[in-house]
Formats: sequence, structure tokens, C-alpha cells
Amino acid sequence: MAKIKVVHYVNQFYAGIGGEEKADITPELRVGTVPAGDALNKAWGEEAEITHTIICGDSYFGENMDKASAEIMEMVKSTGADMFIAGPAFNAGRYGVACGTIATNVKNTLGIPVLTGMYVENPGADMYKTQIYIVATKDSGAGMRDAIKKMAPLALKLARGEKIEASCVEGYIPNGVRVNLFEKECGAARAVKMLIAKLNDKPFVTEFPMPDFDRVEPNPAVLDMSKATVALCTSGGSVPKGNPDRIESSSASHYGEYDITGVMSMDGDHWETAHGGYDPVYVNEDGNRCLPVDVLREMEASGRIGKLHNKFYTTVGNGTAVLSSKAFAEEYAQKMINDGVDCVIMTST
Amino acid sequence: MALEFIVITNNPLVQEKFADELNVDYEDIPFRDVLCKVRDLIHKGHRLLTHPLSGSVKPHETPYKSVLVTTKPSTMDLGEVSIIENAIITADKFAEKFPNMPQSVKEDFQLIDCTLITSGIDAVLRR
Amino acid sequence: MKLELGNIIINDIQFTNEGSKVENGVLTVNPEQIKSLVLEDSNIESCEVFIARPGESVRITPVKDVIEPRVKVEGPGGIFPGWIAKVDTVGSGRTNVLKGAAVVTTGKIVGFQEGIIDMTGPGADYTPFSKTYNLVVKMEPVEGLKQHDHEYALRIAGFKVACFLGELGRAVTPDEIETFEFDNLVESAKKYPDLPRVAYVQMLQSQGLLHDTYVYGVDAKRTLTTIINPLETMDGAIVSGNCVSSCDKNPTYVHLNNKVIRELFKAHGKTLNFVGHIITNENVYLADKERSSNWSAKLAEYLGCDGVIISQEGFGNPDTDLIMNTKKIEAKGIKTVIITDEYAGRDGKSQSLADADPSANAVVTGGNANQVIVLPPMETVYGHLHFVDTIAGGSANNIDAHGNITVEIQAITGATNETGFHNLSAR
Repeated sequence: MAKIKVVHYVNQFYAGIGGEEKADITPELRVGTVPAGDALNKAWGEEAEITHTIICGDSYFGENMDKASAEIMEMVKSTGADMFIAGPAFNAGRYGVACGTIATNVKNTLGIPVLTGMYVENPGADMYKTQIYIVATKDSGAGMRDAIKKMAPLALKLARGEKIEASCVEGYIPNGVRVNLFEKECGAARAVKMLIAKLNDKPFVTEFPMPDFDRVEPNPAVLDMSKATVALCTSGGSVPKGNPDRIESSSASHYGEYDITGVMSMDGDHWETAHGGYDPVYVNEDGNRCLPVDVLREMEASGRIGKLHNKFYTTVGNGTAVLSSKAFAEEYAQKMINDGVDCVIMTST
Repeated sequence: MALEFIVITNNPLVQEKFADELNVDYEDIPFRDVLCKVRDLIHKGHRLLTHPLSGSVKPHETPYKSVLVTTKPSTMDLGEVSIIENAIITADKFAEKFPNMPQSVKEDFQLIDCTLITSGIDAVLRR
Repeated sequence: MKLELGNIIINDIQFTNEGSKVENGVLTVNPEQIKSLVLEDSNIESCEVFIARPGESVRITPVKDVIEPRVKVEGPGGIFPGWIAKVDTVGSGRTNVLKGAAVVTTGKIVGFQEGIIDMTGPGADYTPFSKTYNLVVKMEPVEGLKQHDHEYALRIAGFKVACFLGELGRAVTPDEIETFEFDNLVESAKKYPDLPRVAYVQMLQSQGLLHDTYVYGVDAKRTLTTIINPLETMDGAIVSGNCVSSCDKNPTYVHLNNKVIRELFKAHGKTLNFVGHIITNENVYLADKERSSNWSAKLAEYLGCDGVIISQEGFGNPDTDLIMNTKKIEAKGIKTVIITDEYAGRDGKSQSLADADPSANAVVTGGNANQVIVLPPMETVYGHLHFVDTIAGGSANNIDAHGNITVEIQAITGATNETGFHNLSAR
């Protein structure tokens, strides 16, 4: 079997160019490797080889994401690589986000297997762990050897399309997909060990993390919808064409309030989505798919609901911090209360 | 006075066995619709008396489901809303497996559902 | 209380035309003796007996129960109190065990039976009973026998056969004797004043036909949560009422060899003080669930527990019991570890449990029961293969031209056992 050709992405620091003062360098494609790449090559032996390395400054990438991403994509393509590896980024936040973004992009657009590595608390991990395999590393470059030890074999498996075992076997950050494995010990023995650790306040790892809860007490049901004023809200990014308030496509900093007096339908000529986290084609074609004004107008006409409120509130949920979302909602909820809104339909994407 | 309840079911055997004695709301509807019917009643304040995922026979493997709710609505109970919603989410994980089920197997599924709900009925009626 | 288990290690089962016996680790069985024993029950029309050894190309299905052959040789009570023996308290004296042997019952109680044991191939890894020497007892009922009576007949027949085989070990000198001692609360507190006090909360499935469990002959759904001596459980006080969901319903064998109890005994006096075994049920009626979980929390507190292990049984509604037990016990300041299994969908991407709570922060899982496996054909099938396409975890037309069966592992006996009996897990 031919040697697997790998292209490797690193930032300015791991390329040995410099620290923060060099973080603005533009993407560059080099033949050959940097030290982290050498370590991977060594671990692979004759199985695989990094032939090219792409280097980009963290600030440059962060500030010019779309442009940098497109440039890097072209570079990866030009190498004809079988596999793409980014990092490991350890706990470097911007580097982690860059590794995750590019690797996800490469996987989705070029369709070749990708792998990166980072510390579990790196923001890039949370953003991309469900989309690509991210090896869990230590929180600093001192963990390079350990990271390479996990990344090298997992990269080979991915490149060969082999079956990927459970996260605890392969060393990737749990990605929400449950995979079975046979443990050495029976469940009862594991339970007793876990209990002893828990009783002694020692660390233990649950085999099934409970889903995150943010429970909100619902209000009592609206008994007579035919007299109710219904408002629409969305985190799907519905905005008037041209996005006049410039709601960001991700990590939105504000929300929009738009008047729909007389609007019978969210047609594609007047409305669009600002959301950058899903394929916008269908919502841009027909905005009712995100904000169902058409159906509510019908219900209004037939008397099923009292009326549709004449304003809707909208933001982009993509990567927007929970705290910001809460602040937006607290503000516009008050506006709706003042306007006599009885109930709200919140659509997400 | 014993608690007044309705048997929400799509199981003809439950209808046959209890119709004379109890308030049985039988409809020939799919498994999921029974759960949705129960959900709507809970939203209206009827109290859920038996667990909608009674039994280990998987949703959609068995076509039958019977659930007890109170006859009179009171206040909606959030824990019960969560139980019924989770039951619907769980049921949706399982695809229908045997669209052309032989009558004998259907009858066995009816029997299992019937014994499950009978244990609930007996518990409510303290018998 | 002190219980000795005299393990007679069984390395093979053979048939004979003469008297059945245990000699040099070989269980020799005259199948006619088994048949006439089973056919004493006029509800059973016919009976066939087979041997299934580890590694043989054999599939047993649908499995109803798995039972370990045992005999009481010293002390009060007998095997399977409330069924075969009287209801005297068990758990002391000595019981001889045909270790490595099992009685596997099979029969068609309802038309959608499940429960597969493959003795070799990929399926064998998923069931603990591919490693035991199994005496398979296949029974057919008389025509027109109602399912409840059929279930009862099969259950009792399995116990009778297990006792008959166990009796063959009465005079045999065991290869090893395991001794388990369980002190009363005062004594154990004196002995181990500094060790954390730990109890085992075992949830017993109790919902209806093929979903039941019995304690000293009492239907568990008719019980209040109570305390049992773990030695009683080890000595046969809890038995299975057969199953429809074989991956996570406990066969009688699992009750007899409950591994949580065994692991707690291993740690007892070293890292913890094992103070009690609480048994609670999983009823259909929500008020029963509330009451039973209130009682488990109350009894765990009464035992002065610092921690408990909670094990579950079955699919769906027991998730609610599990979470109620966990929340209420944690709320008393008692730390919990729970054992469950998952239904995360065939792709592993769905919500695993039907209920959840942040207090359940220490979970051991028996794996995702929806995982799909392809079972190659076996040379011999004992039971009714045609039921495999109408079993939980199977689906219509799931047998291909080569005889490969595609099923979810929930069809395999003991695959995702929630008492931690097996070593399958998931992440």
C-alpha cells in the first residue's frame, strides 16, 4: 500500500517563526515538516508521511476567517493530500478555534479525513468536537509526546477508513456518539471502584455524562388561543434583506426588532437569514421556513389565534454565548409584555 | 372514594376486558398517537397515573399502549410533562419493525400490554 | 450470618442412558430423567433436552431463563425458597454449586420471543452464558394453555431441573469453598468504624407477565422496599419470572451470582463497610414509584450509608425509578453510583435514557442496546429460530440468503445487564 500523504497545519509559534508579535503572518505552504510534524512522521514510520506544512498566524486567521480559510483550502487541495492534520493546539484558544475551523472545512469541502488535538477546555473543542475527531491533549506544549502518541494511530485509522472505537479507547474528546466497547472488568467492579473514588473525593469519570440541563418552568397554558396575541421570535437569524442592523453570522452581539405589520409571508425578496451556521439557501428562498408568518396569518384570519404581534425579535444562535442570549431575551421579553403579548413562539434552527 | 381515572388505550383486549367496569377511552390509533393523546391531557391538567413506557417491549415493536390518567383535570404537573415528553422522544428512536404482523403475534402484544396496565389498574384500585 | 458456597467446577456435560451424576468435573445427565421430571407438570406437553458447550456452533433461542444448579447441604432452608423449598430463611450454612454449568430454558410463551445465546462467533462475546456448559431444556405446552400458566410452568420446570442437577453434587467434595460473612449493623460498625458505610440498592423489575421478579415466592410488585441480607440473595431468595427483554432483564443465574454483591464483599473491610442490601421494585403505577423510591432513600439513611450502588433492570420506565432513587438518595447526602444501560439508537446519537438528572453524576453503563450486530448462522439451533425475526432488536426480513441474522444486541441474553454482570460498556 502506498504511503499515506498528509498535510499538516500549524500556527506561527509551532512553525518556529515567533510568538504573539508574529501572529499576523499570512498563510504559507511549505514543503516538509515542522518539529511536531517530524514527531508524527517518526511515529508513522513507513505508513504515512507529512509532505507539506501550512503555516498561518493566529491573529491573521481570527481576523480574516473567511479569506484565510479559503486560501488554506486551496493550499490543501494543491498538495493532493490523503489526510489533513491540524495542531495539536493544547490550550491555545485562537489556535484551537483555527484548527477546528479549518479541519471541519477540509472535511466538509474536500472530503478527506481530518484530525486535530487540543485540551478539553480549549474553546475550539466545544465548537467542533461533534463534527470532527479531536484528540484530548494536555493543556500545554509539554504534552506534545502524549498527544502524538494518540494522534498518530488514530490518524492512520481515519486515513484507512477503519472502524473508530470508543472515545476512551482512541483518546478523542467524547463527541456525543455512543460507541460500545468491552471493558476488562465487569460493570459491578467498575461501579464499586467509582463509588470508592466518589466517597473519598477522588476524581472519577462517569461512563455516561448526564445531558446538560437548563430547566425553565413553563407558564400555565393559554386557555383561549382565539383571544391571544402571539409573537414570533427566532434564533435562526431572520432579518430584512440586506441585514440592516448587521447581526453577526455567529457570536451575535445584539438582536433585531422588525415590524411585520401587513406582512403576510416572509418572501425571499424582502427577507433573508443572517445565520452562518446552517445552509441558508432554503430560508433565503422562503423565510417562513424559519419564521412561520404565513401560517400564523392564516390562523389569525381563521380566528384560531387572536392576532399576530406586529413585531418579531431575532438573533443568530450560532456560537452566541448563553449569557448574551439571556440578556437579549430579558430585554425584548419586557418589550413584549409592555405590548400585551400573551404568548410567544420561539423557533430555532 | 377511589381515584377516578380513564384508561387511554389502542389495545382492543383492554377495551374488551375493562369496558364494562371502567372508563376506557379506546381508539384504533398508532402507538405514538396514544402517547400524544396522553400528553395533551397532561397539558390540560389531567394527572398521569402510570408510566407511559411500561414494559420492556420496545415502542413500535409492540403496536399497543395503555396509560391511566385522572378523569378530572387539576394542575399540570411538570414532572409528568417531562415523563410523557421523554417517552415520546424515546419512542421516536425506535422504528416500526413489523408492519405485517401476524394476528397471533398481535394478540400476544395485546396480552402483554394488558397485563402491564392491569398491574397499574390493580394498584390504583388497591386490589 | 455465614454462607459457604462449595463450588464443584464443571468442565463438561455428557448424556448417559444410566443414572445422572457428577464425577471428576463432568456433569453426566440422563435426558430421560430430566424429561420425566419436567413432564410431571400436566401443562407441559413435550420436552427435549440438549447440551450446548462453549465454542460449539450452537444457538439457543428464545431463552427464557438461565439457572445455576445448586443444592443445600448444610443449614436451614433449601434452594429457591417459596418455589421448590419452603420459605425458611436462606443464606447460611453451605450450598454446593455446579460452577460452570447452567440450565437454559427455552419455549414459545408469546410470539415475539427474544433471547439469543450463541456459543461461538461474534455473538458469543455479548452473552455471559456462552462461557457456561448449558443444559438446554426446550418445553412445549399443552394446547390452549394460557400464557400466564405457560410462563409459570416453564419457570418452575427450570427450577426443578436445576435442583435435580444440583442434588447430584450433594455428596461431591467441592473444588473450592467460598465463605461470605455478613455481620449485623452493630457488629460491623464496631469492626470497621472508619470505613465508609455502603449499601446496595437493587431495583427489581415488576410490571406484569414476563416482566416480573419474585422474592421468597412473593411477586415483587406486591412488596414495599425492604432490606434483605445479601447472603439470602446469593442463596436463591430472588428469582426471575422469565423475560421478554433479555439483554437487561436478570435471569435467575444473575441473581444467584449478583456481581455487585460479590464486588462489595471483596471490598468489605478494606475500602468500605458493606452494611446492607435494599431491594425495591419498578412498578407501572407512578405513585408506587414515588413510594418505593422514598423507601429506598429512607432505608439507605436508616442504615447510616455514606454511599450506595443502585442497579436497574429493564428498559424505559425503570429509568424513572432509577432517577427517583438517585435524586432522593443523593438529597440525603448519600453518594450514589448507578448502573444502567443505554438505548442511544442504532447510530448512537440519540438520547440514551428516558429520564435524567444532574445528581446522577457517577454512571456505569452496560452499553448501547441498539448496537447492530450480524450473527452468522450456527450449525445447530436449539429452540425456535423463526422467532428471531420477530424479536426485540430484530426486524422483518433480517435474515439474509446466507443465514446471517442482523439484530440489535438487545436480543442477546445478558448483553447489557444492569447489575454490572457483563463487561460491555459504552462511551
